[in-house]
Amino acid sequence: MGYDFLQKIPQEKSYLIKGLQLVQKKQGYISDDSIRACAEYFKVPEVEVEGVVSFYAQFKRTQPGKYQICVCDGTACHIKGAPLVLDWIATELDVKDGETTKDGLFSLETVACLGCCSLAPVISINGEVFGKLDRKAVIKLVKDFKARG
Amino acid sequence: MNKVEFFIDGKPMVAENGQTILEVAKQAGISIPTLCHNEKVSKTTSCFVCVVKDAKTGRFVPSCSFKPNPGQEILSDAAEVYDMRKSALDLLLSEHTGDCEAPCTVSCPAHAKVEEYVREGKNGNFLESLEIIKKRIPLPMSIGRVCPRFCEQDCRRNVKDLPVAINEFKRLAADLYYETYLEERPELSGKKVAIIGAGPAGLSAAYYLRLEGVASDIYEMMPKAGGMLRYGIPEYRLPKAILDKEIAHWQKLGDIEIFCNEKVSDKKMAELEEKYDAVIVTIGCWKASSMRCEGEELADNGIDWLGALAQNEWKGKNPGKTLVIGGGNTAMDCVRTSVRLGSDDVTCLYRRTEKEMPAEDIEIHEAKEEGVNFEFLVAPTKLRKESDKLVLTCQRMELGEPDASGRRRPVAIESSEFDIEADTVIAAIGQKTDATAGMKTNRWGDLDADEKSLNVSKTIFAAGDCVTGAATVVEAVAGGRTAGLSALAMMNGKDCEEPEIINVSRGHWRSLSSDKLVLIGEPSESEREQLTFIDLDKRCNSMQEVTETMTAEQIAEEGKRCFECSCTAKGDCKLKEHSETYGAKPDAIKGEKLLKGYDNRHPSIIHDRMKCIKCGICIKVCSEVVNENLLGLKDRGYFTSVGTAFNKGLPDSCTNCGACVEECPVGALDWKQK
Amino acid sequence: MSKRVKIGTGSCGLAAGAGDVLKVLRDEFPDVTVEEVGCLGHCYAEPLIEVETEDGSFYFGEVKANKDYLQKVINIDRSICTDFSESRVDLECLKVTALVGKIPPTDIDRYIENDGYSALKKALSMTPEEVVNEVKEAGLRGRGGGGFPTGLKWSFLAAKDAERKIVVCNADEGDPGAFMDRSLMESVPHQVLEGMLICAYATGATELIIYCRAEYPMAIEHLDIAIKSIEAHGLNKFSDRTVSIRIKEGAGAFVCGEETALIHSLEGKRGMPRFRPPFPTDSGYLGFPTMINNVETFGNIPVLVREGSEAFASVGTEKSKGTKIFALAGDVKYPGLVEVPMGITLKEIVYDIGGVDPNQVKAVQTGGPSGGCIPAELFDTPVDYDSLNSLGAIMGSGGLIVIGKNRCMVETSRYFLDFTHRESCGKCTFCRVGTKRMFETLERITAGEGVTEDIDFLEDIGPKIKAGSLCGLGQTAPNPVLATLRYFRDEFEAHVIDKNCPALECNALVNVNIDLKNCIKCRLCIKNCAVNAIDDNFVVDNEVCTRCNSCIEVCPRSCIARVEGK
Repeated sequence: MGYDFLQKIPQEKSYLIKGLQLVQKKQGYISDDSIRACAEYFKVPEVEVEGVVSFYAQFKRTQPGKYQICVCDGTACHIKGAPLVLDWIATELDVKDGETTKDGLFSLETVACLGCCSLAPVISINGEVFGKLDRKAVIKLVKDFKARG
Repeated sequence: MNKVEFFIDGKPMVAENGQTILEVAKQAGISIPTLCHNEKVSKTTSCFVCVVKDAKTGRFVPSCSFKPNPGQEILSDAAEVYDMRKSALDLLLSEHTGDCEAPCTVSCPAHAKVEEYVREGKNGNFLESLEIIKKRIPLPMSIGRVCPRFCEQDCRRNVKDLPVAINEFKRLAADLYYETYLEERPELSGKKVAIIGAGPAGLSAAYYLRLEGVASDIYEMMPKAGGMLRYGIPEYRLPKAILDKEIAHWQKLGDIEIFCNEKVSDKKMAELEEKYDAVIVTIGCWKASSMRCEGEELADNGIDWLGALAQNEWKGKNPGKTLVIGGGNTAMDCVRTSVRLGSDDVTCLYRRTEKEMPAEDIEIHEAKEEGVNFEFLVAPTKLRKESDKLVLTCQRMELGEPDASGRRRPVAIESSEFDIEADTVIAAIGQKTDATAGMKTNRWGDLDADEKSLNVSKTIFAAGDCVTGAATVVEAVAGGRTAGLSALAMMNGKDCEEPEIINVSRGHWRSLSSDKLVLIGEPSESEREQLTFIDLDKRCNSMQEVTETMTAEQIAEEGKRCFECSCTAKGDCKLKEHSETYGAKPDAIKGEKLLKGYDNRHPSIIHDRMKCIKCGICIKVCSEVVNENLLGLKDRGYFTSVGTAFNKGLPDSCTNCGACVEECPVGALDWKQK
Repeated sequence: MSKRVKIGTGSCGLAAGAGDVLKVLRDEFPDVTVEEVGCLGHCYAEPLIEVETEDGSFYFGEVKANKDYLQKVINIDRSICTDFSESRVDLECLKVTALVGKIPPTDIDRYIENDGYSALKKALSMTPEEVVNEVKEAGLRGRGGGGFPTGLKWSFLAAKDAERKIVVCNADEGDPGAFMDRSLMESVPHQVLEGMLICAYATGATELIIYCRAEYPMAIEHLDIAIKSIEAHGLNKFSDRTVSIRIKEGAGAFVCGEETALIHSLEGKRGMPRFRPPFPTDSGYLGFPTMINNVETFGNIPVLVREGSEAFASVGTEKSKGTKIFALAGDVKYPGLVEVPMGITLKEIVYDIGGVDPNQVKAVQTGGPSGGCIPAELFDTPVDYDSLNSLGAIMGSGGLIVIGKNRCMVETSRYFLDFTHRESCGKCTFCRVGTKRMFETLERITAGEGVTEDIDFLEDIGPKIKAGSLCGLGQTAPNPVLATLRYFRDEFEAHVIDKNCPALECNALVNVNIDLKNCIKCRLCIKNCAVNAIDDNFVVDNEVCTRCNSCIEVCPRSCIARVEGK
C-alpha cells in the first residue's frame, strides 16, 4: 500500500504521532508495513516507532471490526453499570473485550471516558455515542447493527 | 565555580558545578545503591533505589538526579530511607523472575555448585570439576555413590524426561583425581578444635577448618574412621577400600589427628571443652529404636547387625530365612546384605504401603531385582522362639487419616494376626541419638543446636545425625561445614550467622509449564545415560559394588542434557546485591509475573525479558553510545518490556559489541557463556 | 430581535438524540432561525432547546424529534417548558461558562458581539509585564488540578530569552468522569484561544499548541475552525510577531496530562515523564522554553483581563480565587456542568444543585483517579484547593462523582486502581509495579480472597508510591485507596474479615435470590438468563449465575435481588 498521503505532513519526528494517526485513519490499524513506512519517512528507528505505537491506546495493531464498539468505562459510566454493559454485549456477540467477532463485523473494547458522563452508561459505535443505556437498549442496538451487516 | 554547601547525614558537603547528591556522596565515600543510573548514558531516574530524604520537607528524592540546595540536610542512612529502598527492591523482585541459582544447587543440602561442576565434567575438566565439588562436598567418592540425590529430584530436566545424572559427575571426578588432588592450605592460626566422631559431619568440619588454617583432633569411638559410611552402609554400595582412600586424604591434609577407639565420656567432654578453643560434637545416631513388641530382644537390630558385619569385613554366616522390619534405607541395606550372605528367602515387612516407604526408590527397585519379598501393611506384635526357629506374630494394617508427617497413619485390623516363621529377624525401625549427659536435647532426643550456627553452648557446636536425627551423608557434611565455620567465626570473635542470601526462582519443575522454561542454549535430546550394573548373579552372591563408575564419554553426553538454569549474571547482579543489603525478599510482595518470553536466537547473547527491571540502560547504551538504536521500549505500565523491532532479535554482529550486555545491571541481557 | 431557537449539539447533546431533533427542525420549520450551540451544562435535560425571545429565554428539556412536539416548542407552550431549579441558578456563578451553550461555537462574529476578543484588545494596550502582573494579582491558580499560581508560571516563561517560546494548552482531559474542558472547547473555542493569545502576548511566546485528546473530535473540529477565523482576522498578529497556532492530537495516554510526558508526546515520543528540574519553562518542547496551562485556565483569562484582577479576585476564597467548573455525575439527579464560586460547600453542590437526596448519598469522589472520596458527613467542607487537600482528596480538574449508598467503596477504589495501573507509563518502579500490586490486592479483596495483611500492605505501599514516583500519576494514584481506607475502613474489613460486601456490589460476595412470595411466574427472568441459571421452580443456581443483573432488570415485580453471599 502506498504511503504518499504522509507527504502532506512535515517530515519531522514531532509529527510521528500525527503520521500514525493518519495511517490508522486510512487503513484502520497500524501494520508492520506502516511502521516501516513511518520509520523511513520520519527518520525514526523502527523499534522506536513500534514503541510509540504500543504506548498509546489509540493505536491498533490488528484490523478492527466493521463496527467498533467502545464501552465507556469512565467513572460515571462505571458506577452506572459499564461492566454489565460490557458483559451484555460480550454475551450477545460472543466476543471478549479487546477482540473482534469471527465474522469481522464487530470489535469490542473498553475505553476511558468518552466525556458524556451525564448520559451514563454510554457506548460508542464507530464514533457515534449512545447514552442512558439499559440492557434492552444495548441488545437492540447490537441487533440493529447486526442486521445492517 | 558554583559551590553549594549542604549536609549528608549531618556531615557538611560541597556540591561543585551542579553535582548531584549521588556524585557528592560517592566522593565522600557514602554508599548509595543504584540500578537505573549509569554514567555512560543520560539519566533515566526511574528505579528509585537511590532515594535519600530531605530532612526538612520529608520528601524522598532520587539522589542520582537531585542537585542539592544550599543548607539542605540530606539523610542517606535513616531507617525510613532504608525502608523506601527495601520496598523499591521488593517491588522489583516481585516482577523479576529467573533462577539466581539453579534448582539443583538450591536443593543440595550442601549447596554444591552443581551446574558448574556438571559443566566442567561435560567439558572433560574433571580436576576443575572436583575442585568445585570439594568446595562443599569433602567426601565426593562416598557421596558420589550413596547420595539420595536431592539435586536430581529438583532438576528442571524432569519437566522433559529424566533428570541429569548429577551424582555420577562427582563419582567420576573423584575417582579420577582424588589421589593426586591436594588443596592449598593456609598456615595454621594456632587455634585448635576437638571433634567428637569421625563420621561425615566430623570429617567435614575438620576439613573446612583446616582450609581456614585451624588444626583439629578427632576422637572416634570405633576402631576406624568413617562413621556410618563404614559401619552403616554396606560394602556393595560403598566399598570400604574406596572409603579408606577417601579418608586417607585427611592424613594428607595434615594437622588433623584421628584418635580411634576413643569414646568420649562426660568427664572427658569437660576436659576437651577446657583444652580446645572449640568442640564440635558429631556423634551420629547409633542407638536403634525399639519395635515396641513383646520379645523384641530376640531380634537383631539393623544398625548393630550391619556394624558387626562391617567389623568382620562384610563376612558372615547365611542368615537363613530372614525377616526385616522397617521401610527405610537401613531396612533395604539389611535385606540386600542378607541376600548377599546367602539367604534365598528374605522378606521386608512394612506397616504402610510401598508409596509411603522412606527408602529411596532405586534401593527398593534393586532389592526387588535381587529377589527380596515385600509384605506391606503388616506390623509385628510378638516375637517368640519355638525350637530353633523364631516366630513373628504380625497384624494386618490399613491406612487411616494422615498423621503429622502427612503420611496416612496405619491402623490395625482387628483379629488379623498371623504368624511367620524365620531364622533371623532384623528390626530396622530407626535410630536415635545417644546424647552425652549434660547436653541439651530437643523433643526428639537429638542435640539442641541453633538452627543457623549449630551452636549448642558457648564453645560447643554440633552437627550431623546427632542434630538432625538419622539423615543423609550430604546433610551431615553440610552441617559439619557450617559447624566448623561457625566455630571459626566464634574463635575469631565474629558473629556466627552467615550473610543473608536471596534466591529468585522460576518455580519447581512440577508446577512449571514448558512455556515458563528459559533455555540458554539447546540441551541435547538424548535420554539419560545409564549406569552399568554388574551381573545380577554376582550382585546376589558377593559384596562387590553394584554399579560401575560412568565413563568420561558418558559424562560428556550426560552433561549436554543440562538446562543450565542458573542466572548468567550470577555474581554480578546488582538487584541481588542490593536486595541482600537492604533485606528485600523475592516473596515479600506477591503478584502476577508476566511471561514475556526470552530470546536465545543470538549465537552469544541471551535476552531474558522476565529478568528485565526496565531501567532502559541497554536502550540508551545502544542509541547514545553505540549509535545503533536496535533496542526500544514496548507497551507501557506493568507490561513494559525491552525488545527489538518486530521482535527480530539482535543481529549476529552484536557479538563484536555487547555494550548493552556489559551494562545490564541484572541478567536480562547477557552473554550466554557463563 | 426575532425568535431564535438554539439547540445544544455538543457531544453529549448528540448522544442524547439532538441530531434527530435538529433534522426535524431544519426540515419542517425552514423559516425558523435555528442555531447549533454547545452544552448549557444541564446535561440531564438533553436534548435541550432554548428559545430566545425579546421577553427572555425559555428552555425545553428532553425534547422529542417530532414535528407536533417541536411546533409546541417554537410556539413556547409553557406547559412543556423546563424550569431550572432556583437553587441552582442562585448558586451558580457563570463567568467562564457565560457563553457556553449560548452562541454558535465557531461563529467568530457572534463571539465578538458578546465581548469576545475585547480582553485581547485590552491586553494589547497594556505592556506584557502589566498583563502578567494582572494575572498574578488576580490569584488565578491552575485549573488542571495542581493549583500552581498561573501568573507565576507565566512570569517564568516571560523571563526567558529564546528564539522560540511555546505555550501549550493541555486539553488531554483524561480524568474519567470529567468533561469541563471538552465542553469549553466544543462550546466556546474562541474563548480558550483568546486566553492563549493573551498568554502569548504576555509571555512573549511565538507558538501556541493545543494538545487535545483524539477522543474529542468535535472539540478539535471547532478549534480548527476557530483558528482559521483567528488567522483570517489577523488576531494572532502582534506588532512584532505572528504567533502560530496548531492542534496536536493526543493518542490515548492519561499520563500525558503530566507536563513532561505531554512534551515528550508532542515530540513524537512515548509519553513518559522525566525528572524535573529542568522545568519545561527552562527546557521544554524540543528544548525550547515551554509553558503549559490547562483549557479551563485559559478559559478564565479573557474574563480575568476584561473585568480586571480586583473584580476577578472578589469571587472565591482567600487562597482560591474565582470560580471552578465541575462535571457533576454519578448517582445524581441533575448531572451536568456547573460553574460555582470557589468556597461553595459540597453540600450546596451535591444536594442543592445536583438534587441528590441526602439519605441516598455515601460520598463524592473529587479529582477522579488522582483524588479521593469525601464522605457525606464532611459535605460542609468548602470547595477550594487547600480544604480538599487536607481531606486526602484533591480539587483535580473538576470531576465530581457522587457515590450513592448502594455503591461499594472497595469496588470503587479497585476501579480507580484498575484505571491508573493500566495508565502508568511503566517508568518508575513504585508506580509501575506498586500500582499493579495494589490493584491485584484490591481484586483479591473484592473477590473475597483478601486477608488483613492486604489492608496493611495497601497502607504501607500507598504512601511509598506517592513518594517514589516522578509524576503526578504515580504521586496521586494511591489517593482513592488511601482516602477510602481513611473514611470507609469498615467496608474493607467487611470484605476481608466477614467476606461480605455491605453494598452487595462485589459479585463474588453476593448471591441472587428470587422472592417467591411476590413472583408471578411470568418466566421473564428464565427467558433472559444467558446461562440458564434459573430453574423451573424459580430458584437461582448461584454456582452458575454470573451476577449479570439481567433477571433483576426484567423482573416486573422487582422480586429478584442481590443478597449476602453466605
